[in-house]
Amino acid sequence: MKAVFIRYSVFVCLIGLFISTSAAQEVDASNYRMYFKFKTIKQPDNSRLLEVSFVGRNKKDRKVSIPVFDAEINFYNTLNDEEVLLGSSKTSKEGIAQLVVPKNQKYLIDEGGNINLKARFDGTDVLDEEESEIAIKNLFLDLNLAEIDSVKTVTVKAYLLDSIGNQIPVDEAYINIYIQGMLAKMKIKDGTIKNGKFEYAFATNIPGDSNGNITFLAMIEDSDDFGYVTQKNTIDWGVMNKRANDSEHKLWSKAGPIWMYVVLTFLLVGVWANYIYTIVNLFKIKRESTTTATIE
Amino acid sequence: MDFKIRKRELAEEFSPMITKSSYLLKAWIILLVTVILIGLYAFYLQVKNGHGVTGMRDNVVWGVYIINFIFFVGLSYSGAFISGILHFFQTPWKNSVSRIVEIMTVLSLIVGPIFILLCIGRLDRLYFLFLYPRVQSPITWDIVAIMTDLFGCFLYLYLTFIPDFAILRDNDVKNMPQWRKKLYTFLAIGYQDTPEQRRRLHKITGIMSTMIIAMAIVAYTVLAWIFSLTVQPGWNSTIFAPYFIIAGLYSGIGVIIIAMYLIRKYFKLDRYIRKAHFVGAGIILLVISLLFGYFTFSDYFSKWFSHKINDINLLDTLFSKYFWEFIFANYIGVLVPIIIIFFRKLRSIKSITFAAVIAVLGLWLNRYLIVVPTLETPFLPIQDTRPEYIHYTATWIEWSLSFAGIAAFILFFILIMKLVPIVPMSGIIDHERAPKIKPKILTQIHKQ
Repeated sequence: MKAVFIRYSVFVCLIGLFISTSAAQEVDASNYRMYFKFKTIKQPDNSRLLEVSFVGRNKKDRKVSIPVFDAEINFYNTLNDEEVLLGSSKTSKEGIAQLVVPKNQKYLIDEGGNINLKARFDGTDVLDEEESEIAIKNLFLDLNLAEIDSVKTVTVKAYLLDSIGNQIPVDEAYINIYIQGMLAKMKIKDGTIKNGKFEYAFATNIPGDSNGNITFLAMIEDSDDFGYVTQKNTIDWGVMNKRANDSEHKLWSKAGPIWMYVVLTFLLVGVWANYIYTIVNLFKIKRESTTTATIE
Repeated sequence: MDFKIRKRELAEEFSPMITKSSYLLKAWIILLVTVILIGLYAFYLQVKNGHGVTGMRDNVVWGVYIINFIFFVGLSYSGAFISGILHFFQTPWKNSVSRIVEIMTVLSLIVGPIFILLCIGRLDRLYFLFLYPRVQSPITWDIVAIMTDLFGCFLYLYLTFIPDFAILRDNDVKNMPQWRKKLYTFLAIGYQDTPEQRRRLHKITGIMSTMIIAMAIVAYTVLAWIFSLTVQPGWNSTIFAPYFIIAGLYSGIGVIIIAMYLIRKYFKLDRYIRKAHFVGAGIILLVISLLFGYFTFSDYFSKWFSHKINDINLLDTLFSKYFWEFIFANYIGVLVPIIIIFFRKLRSIKSITFAAVIAVLGLWLNRYLIVVPTLETPFLPIQDTRPEYIHYTATWIEWSLSFAGIAAFILFFILIMKLVPIVPMSGIIDHERAPKIKPKILTQIHKQ
């Protein structure tokens, strides 16, 4: 029943695709190469998101891809031959299957300190079995926001925990710092963690939300050792932008721009000075006539 | 040459023009006074009953008054510009036309702003403009610019009159009443035409002629900004200031040609105002008409091409309700003068004057099409308004006051011509006094 359902869903997706792109004639899933991508994101609350992206990409036209809908993905924590099922999830219309593993989950860890995670799709009559495996270390990020010597300082601590709970600082991990916006996040800093620490002085010209709050995101992304690790924190460091000066370019403002006073004054003084000069000369002409008459 | 004798000859030659009045002229004056009186009655009705007697309403708050204002002020600025150019470059044939231009400059600057006063609903609050001026308002700039310009033009006109006042004072002209003699004595401020006085007068006249060119450009630019600094469709244009200046020059040259024709005909000044003057002025009209046509095309083309909804609405109005006015203003008013003056064979005094009449009428209509259709197509339509509040038609009150303004302009022109000769006698003396470097240049003393 499950296989029939998946086949049907793929078929519907393909038909939909063919209707929308009239040039395409394929109706067979065999014309699509399947891409099964598995990643893990450690979230700010230390829970772990396991995510599989399952799409088919046309073998001839690689730009055409369709998600595989309603495929059941099983997520495992493995150690050697041992497999512990963490949970299952079905792919969405976008071909994404997600599973959130709680922060108190006890993982099997190999000798290298890695957590081995596996995602598996068992396959159907039309779709082959897919499997992907990743090995990551369980990295912890602490994001501290504090004013140090009146400097707003962002400090990220990155460490692993050994078997007895001691912190082991990590080194040479690349980290990005973002600010959460309304629709997307904005990158404001990146750099390398050294001796388990990354620190920088925060800019003072970011407005934040209506209350002046800024949400910081510290993210290690697509790391071979740690996968995706996210931490976030919020603080009222926003500096509201000054309101635009209302008096500019408005006829009802109390005063005109200074340049206008200067230019008009120069123009008017120049013109009226010339008038005065002309009138003075007229008086001189009159005086000259008196002098001429006296001489005659 | 004894210039004292020559001055006497000129005074005697021109004295009939200023002392005698023909029946035709008297009839003209009576007609003009009648038109002015009708206008005053219309003004009385407007003050008594309010602006309801005009066609101006909520949407179209500016009508023919503001159009007349722009037109007359444009005449003035173009007159100042042309007069300044004539003096500054010492144009050889300037003497025959310079006084016509100068008088037109001053009179249009007196008549034009009166139309603004007619536009104001509460004239009793007019002094508020002076008590509470707002420097950031182009209207305040315009008031300052007009007052400064008016004073400057009066001063300039007076400077050019002084030598003629002196000639009329020093030579006993027949039939001249005593009060006139006293008036000339007072206005001549003791000018004796000594080399020092002449040098001084030429110097200050030269400076003033240069300055009024700049003032004309600045003042008319400010007037254009009253429109273009708004965001109204049809007005918010970066080329409005140069466009206004070109348009002003276009109407100015046209009115000068018409005035030259009438003065030449009725005062029999064929010897001084010759065909060559008309051809010269016609060539300037041709150049300006080409420029004006180019600016008009450029302005409307960019509006059409932008596809902004308000500009398109305006163009729809222009090409539907105002179709013939648009054709006359922007096609006939531009192309007819170009065709008449471009072909040498078509250039006669009458045809050039006809071209000037077409140009002036076209330009007045062009001003109308700038003001009224824009106000009839506002950004935000007023709800529940009456059609007659949206569409504008001038009433008899507005037309009477408009014609009264034109009549006042002509009447004052005639009165000034009765005060001083329309051809400056001093200019003729200066010309004869100057060494003849170019004997072939066009002057008024060469026989036709």
